[in-house]
Amino acid sequence: MRRAIAFFALIPLVLAGCGDRSLILTVDVLSFLDPADVSGPYGPIPGGLPLTTVDLASQEANLLPGIQDVTEVSSAKLDVGVSFDNQTGSADAHFQIFITSADSADVFSGTPIADIPVTLTPSNVTNVATEISSTELAQALVQDKAKIGVRATFDTTPSGVTPVQGTETITLLRATVITKKKL
Amino acid sequence: MSRMAWVVFIVFLAGTMPHSAGAQMLNARRLGMGGVVTSDNGAARSANVAFRAVPKGRGYSSIPLPIGLIQYAGDHPTFDSNDPDFNIFEILDLAANPPLTLSLSKPSTVSSDISVYIARDSLLLDLEDVRRAVPKDPMELGGVYHLMGVGFGIKSFFVAVDPLIHVRNTFDLDPNLRAALRDAQPFTSDTRYGLSDAGVAQAAIAWQAGVAARALYVPAPDGNEGDEDDPSADDPRRNGATALYLGAAPKYLLGLAYGSAGGAGGVTTGDTLFGSSDPVAFDMTALTRHAEIGGDGGTGHGFGADLGGVLYWNRFEFGIGVNDFGSEIEWSTTVRRHVYSDSLNEFSTTTVATDEKFTSRIPATTTINVARRMGPTTVAADLVNGELHRQVHLGAETWVGMLALRGGTYRDTGGRWQWTGGTGLRFGGIGLDLAVATHSRNIEEKRAAELSASLTLY
Repeated sequence: MRRAIAFFALIPLVLAGCGDRSLILTVDVLSFLDPADVSGPYGPIPGGLPLTTVDLASQEANLLPGIQDVTEVSSAKLDVGVSFDNQTGSADAHFQIFITSADSADVFSGTPIADIPVTLTPSNVTNVATEISSTELAQALVQDKAKIGVRATFDTTPSGVTPVQGTETITLLRATVITKKKL
Repeated sequence: MSRMAWVVFIVFLAGTMPHSAGAQMLNARRLGMGGVVTSDNGAARSANVAFRAVPKGRGYSSIPLPIGLIQYAGDHPTFDSNDPDFNIFEILDLAANPPLTLSLSKPSTVSSDISVYIARDSLLLDLEDVRRAVPKDPMELGGVYHLMGVGFGIKSFFVAVDPLIHVRNTFDLDPNLRAALRDAQPFTSDTRYGLSDAGVAQAAIAWQAGVAARALYVPAPDGNEGDEDDPSADDPRRNGATALYLGAAPKYLLGLAYGSAGGAGGVTTGDTLFGSSDPVAFDMTALTRHAEIGGDGGTGHGFGADLGGVLYWNRFEFGIGVNDFGSEIEWSTTVRRHVYSDSLNEFSTTTVATDEKFTSRIPATTTINVARRMGPTTVAADLVNGELHRQVHLGAETWVGMLALRGGTYRDTGGRWQWTGGTGLRFGGIGLDLAVATHSRNIEEKRAAELSASLTLY
């Protein structure tokens, strides 16, 4: 039944034969995540550990099929927004986004599309917003399916013996891919 | 190519042509007068069979000058789809406007970025500039086209062989799909997006024999008929005589091919546009009917007629011509139903009937014209009523020595009033005419202007 969704893809792609113009594909990646994965608690993570990994989300998304066949990627960017409401402890964290093609075995096995360092301190809310350019992101999003993974890593060495815990909320995950027609 | 493929191709071609707002007119004299039909402006014989019997008037024949070819040679769209500048809308506009006239102004080319926004339960297409190419109303295209016929006449009688094609196509988007494409409304879940198309195409050769003759002639009391020094002495348009000319030309129609297709299709979105379950369900049904020479059903046979009359009174001209009056062709057709099964992902075709008798109609075109000649000035109007459209033309021409000045207006097939003007120079038996006219023969139906040139034989 995946063929059926090609209907949606055909419309812009057929009409893309109109001069030296671009197809601008904007994907609200956040909407494809399970709502339960968008916001959730982390920890308590014991203090003094150099690396603790927490997989926050892993999801497969159906996208527009056929785009890869008729377009060439010019550029791609990912807008990321995340909030850490850290309650106890301190940590040097990394917020990582993985987006790969659906045929990859493990979404977390490759290099993250985005790797955003975050410093967590007790009773403090840290908001991070950034924009990342990535050709790997573009290659993944012009396919008909993609895997999305969200991971946080924590270095709790700065926390001493105090466990680190809090709540993480992803506020923005929006990919913009600009393609040129390849007719 | 299979037979059905030909039928589908013809109907598709009709459906994808730009929404033409009338045909291109290459007779600059007539175009300068708003495209109006009179018995002495060249293209008139095809409008009213009775005009054949009327003495030739001023400017009875026209030779178009394709001045637009020069412009086309220097600036034309690319046909190479690999070229970054390839633009399908430019090519469609070129098909609607063969480069025979000089384009003075035209709308900006439909060309823009296309934005697609995707979320798990949302899809929005912003076609930007291309939205203008999405029709806001059902697109009705077509007409009866009499191709290059041949014939000859002896006195009042004539015979002719006249190939003709009748094409009609109606294409429509349902409100949901139109809003999504034209207004960039988001696609939503559990919604059907559909379109429908109904097309018919038929081709025939008309074997025609007719008569066009003067039925009444009462000379003007102050007339000077026979005066060899006055070229208007024997012209009922200008000598004040009362004259009636009638014409009738029955025709045998040999049907070469007939095809019609009517269908509807669409997709119904699921409860989540990009969820893991079935995203959309397709539906499509179509009913086709066809017959063709050398194939299913063979040739068709039918009859019709062209009828006309024109009355001259006190330098007024009143004409009425009906082409393809009562024209019908009987075919032996094959009818098939085509249904798409979403669950099987395949079309199934069922032959509903074979050798089913079917009578197609060649729609009549009625031309009513009126004109008044006052010395060097002619004022004229006509009403052309066809299958899909009703056109009105108004125009005037006046001569100042060798120089003609013309102006006019016409209501095109899209219901818009267009404006024309022109001039001409006459050198003995030949004249050069130029006309400037507005038109809306482009994919967006926006106003444009063109310059037309032709030679006129006087």
